[in-house]
Amino acid sequence: MRQLSIMVDLDRCIGCKTCIVACRNHHNIIDHENDQPGAMANYIRVESKLEGTYPELREDSWVVMCQHCKKVPCAKACEYDAITKDPQTGIVLIDQEKCTGCGECIEKCPYNVIQFNKEDNYAHKCNLCYDRVIHGLTPVCVDVCLTDALSFGEKEILLMQAEARGKKMIKKMSTQSIIYVKNA
Amino acid sequence: MYEDGWIPTICYQCKAECAILARVENGVVKEVKGNPQGRDKACVKGMAGITSLYSSERLKFPMKRVGERGSGKFERISWEEAMGIMEKKLTELHERGEAHKFTYSMFPHSVTDPKWRFVNAAGGFISTGLPHCDSGKIMAMMHTFGCFPNHHIAPMYHTVPKGGLMILSGRHPFGCLDDAAVPKYILDAKERGAKLIVIDPIFRPEAAKADWWIPIKPGGDASLFLGVCHYLLTNDLYDKEFCDKWVREGDMDNLMAYIQDKTPEAMSKICDVPAADIIKLAKMAAEAPSACIDAFKSIMYGNAMDWGHAWCLFLVITGNLDNPGGQPLPEIAPMAPVEPVPPAPDVTELGYHRSGNNREKFDNYNFFLQPTWYAAQAIKDGTLKVFFASECNPALSEMGSGEWRKAVTMKDDNDDYMLELLVVTEIMPSETMKWADLVLPDQTNFERWELLYMPWWYNFGHCAALCQPVVEPIGEARHANRVFIELGQRMFPEYFAFKDDVEYYDIELSGVDMSVKELQENGGIWSPGAVGFRKYEDKGKFDTPSGKIELEWQMYKDIGQDWPSPELPQEYRRGEKDFPFILVNFRTIFLNNTGAWSQNNAQLRDPVSGLDANPCLLNPIDAKKLGVADGDTVTMESSTGSVEIPVMLTERIIPGCAGIIHGFGQTVGKVASRGSWVNDNELIADAGSTLDEQDLRGGEAHVSTRVKIYK
Ligand code: SF4
Ligand code: SF4
Ligand code: SF4
Repeated sequence: MRQLSIMVDLDRCIGCKTCIVACRNHHNIIDHENDQPGAMANYIRVESKLEGTYPELREDSWVVMCQHCKKVPCAKACEYDAITKDPQTGIVLIDQEKCTGCGECIEKCPYNVIQFNKEDNYAHKCNLCYDRVIHGLTPVCVDVCLTDALSFGEKEILLMQAEARGKKMIKKMSTQSIIYVKNA
Repeated sequence: MYEDGWIPTICYQCKAECAILARVENGVVKEVKGNPQGRDKACVKGMAGITSLYSSERLKFPMKRVGERGSGKFERISWEEAMGIMEKKLTELHERGEAHKFTYSMFPHSVTDPKWRFVNAAGGFISTGLPHCDSGKIMAMMHTFGCFPNHHIAPMYHTVPKGGLMILSGRHPFGCLDDAAVPKYILDAKERGAKLIVIDPIFRPEAAKADWWIPIKPGGDASLFLGVCHYLLTNDLYDKEFCDKWVREGDMDNLMAYIQDKTPEAMSKICDVPAADIIKLAKMAAEAPSACIDAFKSIMYGNAMDWGHAWCLFLVITGNLDNPGGQPLPEIAPMAPVEPVPPAPDVTELGYHRSGNNREKFDNYNFFLQPTWYAAQAIKDGTLKVFFASECNPALSEMGSGEWRKAVTMKDDNDDYMLELLVVTEIMPSETMKWADLVLPDQTNFERWELLYMPWWYNFGHCAALCQPVVEPIGEARHANRVFIELGQRMFPEYFAFKDDVEYYDIELSGVDMSVKELQENGGIWSPGAVGFRKYEDKGKFDTPSGKIELEWQMYKDIGQDWPSPELPQEYRRGEKDFPFILVNFRTIFLNNTGAWSQNNAQLRDPVSGLDANPCLLNPIDAKKLGVADGDTVTMESSTGSVEIPVMLTERIIPGCAGIIHGFGQTVGKVASRGSWVNDNELIADAGSTLDEQDLRGGEAHVSTRVKIYK
């Protein structure tokens, strides 16, 4: 199956969160007029890890969005068949019409990326910017990333590109369709 | 009038003013991204700009104070009434022969900013909206090279060759107060094989990406680089050919004599960087094809001029002037003047800080803008009577901001305020607005016209960019430029004989054969292309009095400042026993520091997409000594103030320092006032009370002090 993917380069992600806000704007998951901090949905988040003791320190930052899993635990958990993996793209999509808001998928997602809209009672998440990628555009987060830490394409090709650039895949992080790489 | 689609304009969520595209759909801004005709990037603040535009907290109407100053009580008035109040007071001031007691604190978007024109016409002064974070650097480069530096952004990182050194000294370019393309350019250069060296007492995102992090004692930059210069000069590792050709005769010999005792060992004692590391840095600089320095925090200390001077020495002896990967020198685009140009007031004769009690102290202060921080003192001295503020927040951003707030409420014997009129233009509720007599609703960058033309500004200088309205303005908001053009037309018609802001920008652009319309059609940007390197070679000279690089500042000989002092700033040398910690107040990408519009932006204060906490960072070694645990609330006390703040233990900060983010602590605005986060300026002495700590030749001590910490 063809799998569209985002590659996250840990040598370039600076944890600036530009991608988060751009994603929120594009997917209209914010009410600019009234939303308050701490109460907004987000399809992507920043994580980081500081290691060592002063002055020998290292720190990596990266982003986590829906991993468009191979075996799709969220879809398996959904009794209403609201979640499917698109065979053309490998994108995992939640059908809002079918979603009953039971929240089972949220429980089962190992990456904790599914958002819940309480008002209208449905689950939603990163769809790899389906609306854009089917028109040949890159996902918004990739487009705006401040440092070009993200790249988009078919997973197989991204892996080849990583290799050509001397990057190693971080196996622990990349069990699914979003890949994480770092200088070898 | 407003089209749908991706429309080019300029971001103004911070002072970097990146070229952006705004996606408009049915008259509403939906998305923002970098303008590919510019440098194609916008940061998180830019993305969140839409939230500022549509926030329910937008100020929509002119308002006039009804309670006492600071009570925050206002009533809605008309624009006509607001204009009348300003006109009446300024006319009265002029008639009293006190026109110069008017100051407008603003961030000028071009050297010909219409607000600045208004101030000149009115006989007042401008001060930059923020303290002069960079005047030390600007003056150092003017003295040495005879020209303005390309402001904050020293290097053109996209020109750094393989093996070149990029040195960040207390600089946070990943925080995007430079063009948002800079982080990418730095990382690209690194991928090409350039080296990133980060000198900073705190391990921040830049340090995380650096080839080498050099932790340093705050304020130690001058001594560190003097140690580097010593090694280069005494080991014959400097660019002799460049120096022989371009440095004024005699200066190299005098530099050799001066540098003799600035050994890496001696300098190490001041900056706490091991001598071996100073030597290692010097060797790297000698071997590298290019080296550049970018600094920020250190150009705000009281020894800013010394640091600026040492920085210039390093650039010169390594031959890194206007070369790929070195320090660019600016080229100025020839915009047409809008005639007749109102004359600027005589800074030496009239400046309010000079006519006050401290006039003598300022005799050497030859920076062309008023020091913002001196406002409180000037009010007390009776030399500041009318104060306007745009795009700045002095009630929060002044050193000793408490003194500022006190000064604006001081009354004379007749029970009148000593400061007779305080006008604020603002997009969102701000701390300063609370104290204003008049609050004028301003427009965001999505609603206004503006020509960005700062020849030495962040965007690599020497280009012009157009901010154009992409949607209808909210409420009765009017851009400050329009307001002061209109007031100018009422008060000084001879200087404001043009229709409006757009016509004003058209006249200016005619100097480069452009117009607003053409800029609009061409993606919003005008640039003559490449800046060019080693422009002094074509010219055959530098623009200094001697035509050469002037390393020795002979005009300061009589005050013993012809060469830089390696000593730490005074504010760190004093009170070490009682106040053992150095306060390090740093910046992040999420706030435009004290700007009310980014403070009040829900996306930038959201824990996922922004920053909602400002604890005191402490090294665990210090915490152990103090007996405090992670999360404990402590008192942080300086010689002039104290705050209560939770601590966060982290390896990121060097022992002996306490870190907090600059710019929190607003008490108004639903978003900005969330949490009980403190403002670092509450701890910093009012500058008027610490004149001996100011570098009165152009540098300024601010955002720096010593503190003690206890539970
Ligand atoms: S990451 Fe979570 S939401 Fe995305 S496909 Fe996997 S289980 Fe489903
Ligand atoms: S791919 Fe699209 S939906 Fe997913 S995180 Fe990125 S911007 Fe958001
Ligand atoms: S925009 Fe890019 S660099 Fe910034 S957090 Fe997102 S992925 Fe990382």
